[in-house]
Amino acid sequence: MLQLSLNTVSLGSAYALVALGLVLVLNATNAVNFAHGALVMVGSYLAFAIAAVVPAKGIVILPLVLLSAAAFGLVLALIAYFPLRTKPVVAVFIATISAGTIFENLVLLTFGPEPRSTPPILGNRMLDLGNGVAIGEQSVAVICAAFVLIGGQYLLFAHTRFGRRLRAVAQDPDMAAACGINIKVMIAFTFMLAAALAGAAGMFLSATYYTSPTDGANYMMKAYLAVTIGGWGSIPGTVIGAFLVALFEVLIPAIPALIPGLDAVLPTATLFSMTSSTIALFLTFLAVLLLRPQGLFGEAIKKRA
Amino acid sequence: MSVSHARTAVGILFVLALAAWPLVFSSPFDLRIFTLAGVFAVMVIGYQFIFGHVGALALSQATFFGLGAYATAICAVHLGFGFPATLTLSVLVAVSVALFIAIPVLRLGSHYFALATLGISQIVTLVALEWVSLTGGGNGLSGVPLPSIAGLVIPRGWPLMLLVWSFVAAGGFVAWQMMRGLYGKACHVVRDDEVAARSLGIDIHRIRLTMLLLSAAYGGVAGALFAHVNRIASPEALEFKTMVLCLTMAVVGGRTKVAGAIVGALLIVHLPEWFRFLDRSYVMVNAIILIGLLIVAPEGLVGLLDRVLPRAPGEGMGKTLARHRPAMSPPARGALLPSTTPILEVRNLVKRFGGVKAIDDVSFDLHRGTITAVIGPNGSGKTTLVNCITGVEVPDVGAITLGGSAITGGRPHDIARAGIARTFQNLRLVDDMSVLDNVAVARFEAEGAGPLNALKIGREDPRLLRAYAYALHLLHRLGVEEVHRLCGSLPYGVKRRVEIARALALDPQVLLLDEPAAGLNESEQNDLAARLQDLAANGVTLLIIEHNMPFLRTLATYMICLDQGRVIAEGRPREIYENPLVLDAYLGRGAGASSASSPVFAEAGV
Repeated sequence: MLQLSLNTVSLGSAYALVALGLVLVLNATNAVNFAHGALVMVGSYLAFAIAAVVPAKGIVILPLVLLSAAAFGLVLALIAYFPLRTKPVVAVFIATISAGTIFENLVLLTFGPEPRSTPPILGNRMLDLGNGVAIGEQSVAVICAAFVLIGGQYLLFAHTRFGRRLRAVAQDPDMAAACGINIKVMIAFTFMLAAALAGAAGMFLSATYYTSPTDGANYMMKAYLAVTIGGWGSIPGTVIGAFLVALFEVLIPAIPALIPGLDAVLPTATLFSMTSSTIALFLTFLAVLLLRPQGLFGEAIKKRA
Repeated sequence: MSVSHARTAVGILFVLALAAWPLVFSSPFDLRIFTLAGVFAVMVIGYQFIFGHVGALALSQATFFGLGAYATAICAVHLGFGFPATLTLSVLVAVSVALFIAIPVLRLGSHYFALATLGISQIVTLVALEWVSLTGGGNGLSGVPLPSIAGLVIPRGWPLMLLVWSFVAAGGFVAWQMMRGLYGKACHVVRDDEVAARSLGIDIHRIRLTMLLLSAAYGGVAGALFAHVNRIASPEALEFKTMVLCLTMAVVGGRTKVAGAIVGALLIVHLPEWFRFLDRSYVMVNAIILIGLLIVAPEGLVGLLDRVLPRAPGEGMGKTLARHRPAMSPPARGALLPSTTPILEVRNLVKRFGGVKAIDDVSFDLHRGTITAVIGPNGSGKTTLVNCITGVEVPDVGAITLGGSAITGGRPHDIARAGIARTFQNLRLVDDMSVLDNVAVARFEAEGAGPLNALKIGREDPRLLRAYAYALHLLHRLGVEEVHRLCGSLPYGVKRRVEIARALALDPQVLLLDEPAAGLNESEQNDLAARLQDLAANGVTLLIIEHNMPFLRTLATYMICLDQGRVIAEGRPREIYENPLVLDAYLGRGAGASSASSPVFAEAGV
């Protein structure tokens, strides 16, 4: 039970990193970056590649992954966002999907289609807490690392001059430009930051779950859901949304194990599979929208009248 | 050669190139790819209804497509039905799922709509994967026969290709026919500005539902054809990748033109084939080319044509219009003398936002042919009052009666149809539509334009022509001459008058004007005041929300002053100017005594 909630929180914090990157770009550009899932995947392959050269623990590799993923974020902004900045939002939508395809195929050509795994942050041991209770070292490490990254992002935004400029761009790009902020630089940095967070998440996730080049779409969907549940633009809402998504993913397949004797009554194998957890997640999401069309936590970005 | 001839020439060349394509690239493989392009063209023409014409980012088109494919495959493989029956069932399945989707989803805002439709698609895909006995699971359901009509099997190659492309032609014709008249203009307004569309009496939910169902029907047809061409229905047809393909075709080709759908489908289906020689990196080259196309032609390749060879102003309006122009003048519904019976009654209106009472127990009457002004400082509840009367906001307490019948809490388009028109403080015109179209579209409801009667349009839409004649008359009355210019390129003052003309095109009994003088210079203000007086003299009842005292001085016959949501004074303008409560509200407490020299009122000459 403890391990289960720990898994939820650990998965949730990794998803929160992914979703946070999506929402940062969303706020700064008003466009959904559909290559974001591919950036997560790129992050795990970067970690894999770096680990092959630098045989060290994840914590040593992490800064390198952050930096190299940020470079991919910059590339993404340069090819799929800036040329289309003044064009209709759907154009950015398609361009980022295309950019995601490019990343996916780059990885596919370089590493082949086999799923890869990355080194854990500290180790993969089970920490014995006594009384027969043990928890995975990686889960705890992921939670801590995600906490540090999210906290760092928060501090950057809330307490630095640079962060204030980033927020100004997110709130009102025209006004920010009028105040002498170079919004292009700010947007480029937002893309890099988002990619770095996504890359870190990719590294954390593939230590446990493996990642293959086509996994981007899956992460994209999760992040998209988290952002939407969280209220489309709200940063705390997005983090909560990410945890809800993780909760569904961990909890529903675990139901047969939690309720003994259920196997006898229901065909648990099909009823509580990964597939059904995804279906349940979407159905819940639709039900929420039916009751609250403005999203679970209201809308952060109001349409300007 | 004029631009219009050049456009015709491009159109003819396009059709000829299309016809020549399968003659030139005639190997069985090329024909198969061309046939597939036709299948996707049908799907994209359908997708343009919801995505292009009303601008809703639906991510469910692949679902309708896949459902159509599965319906055909299941009925043909398991039940042995012929092509007409399987096709009908494919359409029915897609449309009924669309109807089901529409219930929770259609009223959602843009991104929620996108994700909700995507969510439903995911569910359908997963069900198709898991329900192995019916769908064949991940392998799909193979062995779909070639289409057979009345026992006659249509073989591969040319016959199948022609069958598919005849669907493209028929589907394209229906879509073009439906969208070229007044109905299409109404869809354009819905796409551009929902609030404005509602204020013109357009039921946006109904239009969006119609568009979604049409999309689904086309998706179902395309899916059915896809199953026959590929001889298999597999989960791939349902997947997000297919959706992205469809979206890409629509964006690259063009979002609202049938030709755009065809160009997009041809290009996107053939691109990978053209770069197949690059072996493993062709997908990347493909993606790079796509981004390049988006940069060059963000409005789509067919949209690019509009940029290179822009449509001549007024082209396509018809010569009929010129002939009818002088004869057609709209009868004024309210052409009666001022009377003592109130046309609009507002009783004890209350509207709260959280703990704030934006409107607090407001009551007043409007008499026919009068000009009433609502004044008050910023935040006094003026715009909320207009929003409550027009149904944009639902009041918490109170009753609003128009000509004896209650309209409280009615939907905006119903209230607009009942006879209350409005203008907006921040203009809400459709910038990429001509002045004439902007005004004519307000005749949508009066002319009874709909998708079905749009199909019966002959050479020109008679409803649209009548709407144009009506609009021309009103524009003339308001002194707007350049009726073929795009609204976005007009000077501010003219835009104001166009918006008033649009509101008048609803033939309203009551016209609400939200700060009509804002941004106008003095001579424009005098001109507008004279025109408004003329309208009132013709029996239209005016309610003007305004700050500008000099503008109201000669115009208003009655004034209501709001402060913090309450009516603090009402009466003839002179009484209002001298009312100490009003002076307090405007100038702060205690300023009332000495305020005759204050700027606001000094300007008004009080």
